[in-house]
Amino acid sequence: MHEAKAIDVAWSTAADIAAAVAAGRSTAESIVAAALARIRERGPQFNAFTVVTEERALARARALDEARARRDALPPLAGVPFAVKNLFDIAGLTTLAGAKINRDAPPAKRDATIIRRLEAAGAVLVGALNMGEYAYDFTGENMHYGPSHNPHDLRRMTGGSSGGSAAAVAGGLVPLALGSDTNGSIRVPASLSGLFGLKPTFGRLSRAGTFPFVASLDHTGPLARTTRDLTLAYDATQGYDPDDPVCAERPAQPVVALLDRGVENLRVAVAGGYFKGRTAEVVNAVDRVAAALGADREIEIPEAERARAAAFVITASEGGSLHLPRLRTRARDFDPAVRDRLIAGAMVPASLVMKAQKFRRWYRGEVLKLFAEVDAIVAPATPCTAPLIGQQTFMFGDTELPVRANLGIYTQPISFIGLPVAAVPVPLEPLAMGVQIIAAPWREDIVLRIAHALEMKGVVAAPRPQI
Amino acid sequence: MKRRSNTARKARSPARSASSAKRGKPDAIDALVTASAQALALPIDPAWRGGVRFNLQLLLMVAGRVDEFPLPDDAEPAPVFHA
Repeated sequence: MHEAKAIDVAWSTAADIAAAVAAGRSTAESIVAAALARIRERGPQFNAFTVVTEERALARARALDEARARRDALPPLAGVPFAVKNLFDIAGLTTLAGAKINRDAPPAKRDATIIRRLEAAGAVLVGALNMGEYAYDFTGENMHYGPSHNPHDLRRMTGGSSGGSAAAVAGGLVPLALGSDTNGSIRVPASLSGLFGLKPTFGRLSRAGTFPFVASLDHTGPLARTTRDLTLAYDATQGYDPDDPVCAERPAQPVVALLDRGVENLRVAVAGGYFKGRTAEVVNAVDRVAAALGADREIEIPEAERARAAAFVITASEGGSLHLPRLRTRARDFDPAVRDRLIAGAMVPASLVMKAQKFRRWYRGEVLKLFAEVDAIVAPATPCTAPLIGQQTFMFGDTELPVRANLGIYTQPISFIGLPVAAVPVPLEPLAMGVQIIAAPWREDIVLRIAHALEMKGVVAAPRPQI
Repeated sequence: MKRRSNTARKARSPARSASSAKRGKPDAIDALVTASAQALALPIDPAWRGGVRFNLQLLLMVAGRVDEFPLPDDAEPAPVFHA
């Protein structure tokens, strides 16, 4: 029975969809059918999906409707469509990780842990999403599967590597998507596509059943159009997972009930020095957020530039090590730009990589001292708004820098030590600009409370594209 | 976390700076690409050798900035193995 007239599936929040299903105003099947129809109709222009799991999604939705008919209590995300970056395992499908090479891999035997957790919370998986090859990317471009297109301007990048995740949520195909973030791959596309993104504390969310990139830096997390949806997805996916060796043995700490606590008692500072904006849009976005939070204090994150350098070295080296067998046998099947970086990474002397890991611990100690003085730090998410697809360079103040290597200039020094970050979209014209809200490890509650407060004040919002 | 000691600061020697500079020289990069490719049994097509060389040079330059940062001998690396 299709009776989704009462709700606009494309632009409703996950919270509204779940409420409509729980109240019987819509069926899960009608919601999912509407989302699938929109993916068929609009999906190709964003090049967001690489596979749509229609049969599975409809079966899952019908099961939820049957549960409601039996008067079973429905889980909190019942009937909410979601999709995942195609490095997450989906049972029965090959995990592409954005690579041509992976087409030859056998199908996954089971879903990734956090897909299973979202589905246990009632959400319905509708497909897998485009991404940069093997996640070594900040642009959302992919030579094998084509670039993801930014719904706010189809000529522009989504940002990457979770480019399809950003395109699908910003384009109203799904209200929620999962991505991964090693150096900025959730926060950069959130910024360029005008979305909320959460990179939780390193070790908070399971990575089991995802294709890895840099074991010591990889995170998973959600993208959404509201803080509440971001938080609902985060809460549903928390918890220890013995299948991921770095997943922390901590109990889940749900945040959604804390969102309305306000931020008046929080001490917030703006990151100075390395993080000082060099373009008008970055300065404008950070200033608006800082003003709304009463953050008139500047704080210096020490040695941030060197931290980015160390993250760069560790990324190339661990990535090169991971892909060495494929580089030996199938080098021609990589995107040349990815291949050459990975080969070079495999050749970096181990002594230099170990020094980078030692520096990482020193840097962590210094940055954690800052959180004795402040509860959160505000910093830009990207050095510019969305570049054109194929654009090679951008102006960073007076300096022309390569796009591909530098979109993560502000995100890398933060994920390097695993701090939780909410990327929030400041709706500038013509394109949004993201700002990072950063807190001490395990304080996702703080970054989400601040994101929610900014949203309630109208300072941040995911703009609806003119499509 | 222990703070950097004076000893560690002094350990930053002219010899290290010299090796850092030498490491970035074109002939040293070429030699490293050749030797690493052989040691890793990693075939490098001449068509992409230039790209590998460029990226390795960049990586070594960036790694040099980290390497020149003085840390004490007892500095622990970040990943900690739990038995």
